[in-house]
Amino acid sequence: MSETSNLNLAVVGGGPGGYAAAFLAADLGMSVTLIDPELNPGGVCLYRGCIPSKALLHVAKLLEEAHQAKDWGIEFSAPKIDLKRLRSFKENVVKKLTGGLGVLSKQRKVRYVQGRAAFENSNTLSVTKTDGAQESLTFDRIIIATGSRPAVVSTLKLDTPRMMDSTGALNLEDVPGTLLVVGGGYIGLELGSVYAALGTRVTVVEMLPGLLPGADRDLVLPLHKRLEKMFEAILLNTTVASVKDEGNGIRATLKAQDGNSQEKVFDRVLVSVGRKPNSEIPGLDKTRVQVGQRGFIQVNKQLQTDDPSIYAIGDVVGEPMLAHKASHEGRVAVEAIAGHKVAFEPNAIPAVVFTDPEVAWCGLTETQAQKENREVKVAKFPWAASGRAITLDRPEGMTKLLIDPQTERVLGVGIVGVGAGEMIAEGVLAIEMAALASDVALSIHPHPTLSETVMESAEVFYGTSTHIYRPKRG
Amino acid sequence: MIEFKLPELGENIEQGDLVRLMVEPGAAVSAGQSVMELETDKAVVEVPSSVSGTVQEICVKEGDKIKVGQVIFTVDGAEAKGSGVPSQAAAPAPAPAPREKPAAPASKEVAAATSQAAASSAPSSTPGASEFKLPELGENISQGDLVRLMIAPGARVSEGQPIMELETDKAVVEVPSSVSGVVKELKVKEGEKIKVGQVIFTLEGGAAAAQPARPRSAPVEHVSGQHGARLAFQAAIRAEGKTEEQALPPDQPQQTVPSFSMPAQLGKVAGTEHRQPVPAAPHVRRLAREVGVDIYDVKGTGPGGRISEDAVKAHAKALLSAAATAAATPRAGHFAQPQLPDFAKWGKIERVSMRGVRRKTAEHLAEAWNTIPHVTQHDRADITELEQLRARFAPKAEEAGGKMTVTAIALKVCAAALKVFPQFNASIDIEKEEIVYKQYINIGVAADTDRGLLVPVIRDVEKKNIVELAVELSQLSKKAREKKLSPADMEGGTFTITNLGGIGGVGFTPIVNFPEVAILGLSRSRMEPEWLNGKFEPRLILPLSLSYDHRLIDGADAARFLRWISEAFEQPFLLSVQG
Ligand SMILES: Cc1cc2nc3c(=O)[nH]c(=O)nc-3n(C[C@H](O)[C@H](O)[C@H](O)COP(=O)(O)OP(=O)(O)OC[C@H]3O[C@@H](n4cnc5c(N)ncnc54)[C@H](O)[C@@H]3O)c2cc1C
Repeated sequence: MSETSNLNLAVVGGGPGGYAAAFLAADLGMSVTLIDPELNPGGVCLYRGCIPSKALLHVAKLLEEAHQAKDWGIEFSAPKIDLKRLRSFKENVVKKLTGGLGVLSKQRKVRYVQGRAAFENSNTLSVTKTDGAQESLTFDRIIIATGSRPAVVSTLKLDTPRMMDSTGALNLEDVPGTLLVVGGGYIGLELGSVYAALGTRVTVVEMLPGLLPGADRDLVLPLHKRLEKMFEAILLNTTVASVKDEGNGIRATLKAQDGNSQEKVFDRVLVSVGRKPNSEIPGLDKTRVQVGQRGFIQVNKQLQTDDPSIYAIGDVVGEPMLAHKASHEGRVAVEAIAGHKVAFEPNAIPAVVFTDPEVAWCGLTETQAQKENREVKVAKFPWAASGRAITLDRPEGMTKLLIDPQTERVLGVGIVGVGAGEMIAEGVLAIEMAALASDVALSIHPHPTLSETVMESAEVFYGTSTHIYRPKRG
Repeated sequence: MIEFKLPELGENIEQGDLVRLMVEPGAAVSAGQSVMELETDKAVVEVPSSVSGTVQEICVKEGDKIKVGQVIFTVDGAEAKGSGVPSQAAAPAPAPAPREKPAAPASKEVAAATSQAAASSAPSSTPGASEFKLPELGENISQGDLVRLMIAPGARVSEGQPIMELETDKAVVEVPSSVSGVVKELKVKEGEKIKVGQVIFTLEGGAAAAQPARPRSAPVEHVSGQHGARLAFQAAIRAEGKTEEQALPPDQPQQTVPSFSMPAQLGKVAGTEHRQPVPAAPHVRRLAREVGVDIYDVKGTGPGGRISEDAVKAHAKALLSAAATAAATPRAGHFAQPQLPDFAKWGKIERVSMRGVRRKTAEHLAEAWNTIPHVTQHDRADITELEQLRARFAPKAEEAGGKMTVTAIALKVCAAALKVFPQFNASIDIEKEEIVYKQYINIGVAADTDRGLLVPVIRDVEKKNIVELAVELSQLSKKAREKKLSPADMEGGTFTITNLGGIGGVGFTPIVNFPEVAILGLSRSRMEPEWLNGKFEPRLILPLSLSYDHRLIDGADAARFLRWISEAFEQPFLLSVQG
């Protein structure tokens, strides 16, 4: 890497895409400037996304288990919730991690500029620093990693703190008596679960016929059943027609597809209907970067935009809008800039919903296989047959493999159940390594763990699962 | 009734195969709804409708090849909803600008709004100032040598005014300014290599400073950056007389678009192609990229067709040795030649860089010579009578601003001959094992300029009369001499004429202008004694030399072709009838 190693690189946005890119670039010897409005790198993921939500979900899980412990002969008195301490636990988690990233960027000699960047041209950024100063900086290459923000629905805009997006919900100002969650995607269900565990009566409204649109129905079903018990109501095929601030609450008109509509008053409303890419960067029109119809910046497999000196990564370039996809893209972009022949071409990107139970999948899904008319064999292992699941008293889970009938290759993995998020990594590795079902079945998995269910679903494919008796037909 | 046409799908995608239609007559469609799956070179994409209403007629069927702009179906009753509608496919599908009447004025608003937006978002540090960057010059041209600058600091430039001459691989081009104002600072010097996008000069006080011109760009579709889709959407609904809320709150997800899109739709992740995952571990796939092997070409021999590192290496080796064998055959061409002696040993030498046209010519001719088995056929045409015709047409041509030359007449003659002998108007596609017959006749005319050999092309020669050809030829020669030929002026030829008659000689063996298959050389015509009607008569004789690609053309056909041409020269009344 002769001349590329002393390239001068700017990364706009310090989220998991941006900081991963900046750090690798520094490791490869580039001179790197990382620009973000926050005090430290971290982006949405660390400040108001993955990390704070998972801290709160951890607490929610504990509350639920303490509640369930009654069935095991242990009874706790009703929990006393100290919101201030809960908030500071969450904030400390964020501070610890973002502070750590700050140290890491110093150690790597990444120049961290706290501020907002605008484009002057394809190689020059004008940065308005948080302290008010303005600086114009020129670079050989620029990576855009500006991420995304909550989508806003114009009919659901009210100027009151009762109306929240995910950021507002994570602030946890109070535990409202009632909460309306608009949108049954993963963010709505995760945050709804947190509030429900803290004692709020939660109503979820989803306009499509099922929760977690896009995920396989058999993975969603056990979660739906459990959430039905946790939540006040789950209203599918329903939209929120209008909202009205009534001072002591928000009156929402909920309209079902069959024409029925009902009005209800909620203490708070969380709007979680998706996220929009932050592609409206000032001055971007002075470059050759092209923005597609849904607002995503257009890139090729090297994450290069239509402007040869500008790359883009993470939420701002497209689905899936997930932190690990952003980081991987960041690393690929930097390697491409360094002149390596690389491309963003994963065979599996895992998705995890951190509800209780968790839902996780990677690679091909049944929904997609059906859509593409692709023949696949599905091997399912119900957790009712897993020793570990029974010891946890959580038998509702399920593990399934999607297998190519010709080659017996594992094409997709889906898991619902406690700890599914940790387990899905094995599926990713199997798919990326082009493992056959027999490779998975023949690898010894530790007992008693939930990971055995992956091995046993591979055994189900061959009709030889130890813990399921299903004689071969014909 | 409104038509839904295939919108633009992305760079360089002009068509696709219709894999699946998802609508039928009578069905209701709404803007944003996926209506078909199209397989393009790059991926299978879902195409969303940009119109709403009830489908009337479907104009395509599954399996058809469909071009951008082709009508897919018609709807009735409803308003066409334009862009801004979220499209399901993440594949780049630029907003199809509404093409119906009411939208036309709106497009202007978009353009206006955009430049306003651009102006208001310009950094405050340099108010009013602007700069001019080297615009795109054409396909595959990314840079050029600055031959001449025609402006200086303090000079006033206006939009469209030529400001420099640039020598690219293909031609010397004049670059016009796309901004108006007073030049503040020049950022380049003569002799420098300049890249597309590089700043050429800055302006001061240029209030009317425009953005760098994008030649060939329509205002709406090329609005780049942030506001494009949004503005097109606003323009479309304004044209319908609606407010944005009424039309479609832009942030509200469509019924059909799940608010949480599934990561599993990998094929549609931006930047990835819709190919089935290949059975190779990540490091093996990366290795393939590093050594330049398409992993999908490698045959996996492991369980389930798994591809190992060794398989990739073996494949690369096989490719290399195949390439080496190919290179060992005399095709090597280009600059591959034995090592040169030290010329300076025998006297003073000067080394001059072989830039631009000269280098391109060298490469092109070596390629042609190495690819084409050349044969040259010679013949003579008696043009005594033709001279009279030339004299007759000369004033007409002059009046029209051209010069009636033998070359102009040869153009007419050759066009007629190429119609009769189509294999001379063809190309060979060795890879596909096909002959490409062109149903148009574009003849290149070699021009000798002080920069070297240039071949401007006259299009549709068979449709033009001699006077028109004479005029066009004069114009092109002038352009060539003034170094104003654009790359487009030199593309698309099907046959070439080269006339060295002005200099002299009795014959030569021209090299076919690859991928064409034949070239006609004209030498100096002179009076010669011809045995006619039992005695020698002084006749004006034009020597003709036809070089051709012997792979496609047999010797006898070449002889017939050239005889046909000679006879056409000899019987000019035929031409005069044709005009
Ligand atoms: C509640 C919630 C929970 C989530 N949970 C998960 C999860 O469990 N797992 C998961 O994988 N993903 C999760 N996500 C998604 C995840 O946060 C995003 O996918 C990820 O943060 C995207 O990273 P990024 O680098 O693209 O951009 P971001 O993290 O969005 O960072 C972009 C940064 O750029 C800054 N920026 C924007 N414009 C400019 C500018 N002009 N100049 C300088 N800086 C600028 C922004 O301020 C921001 O700091 C969650 C999101 C939310 C909201």
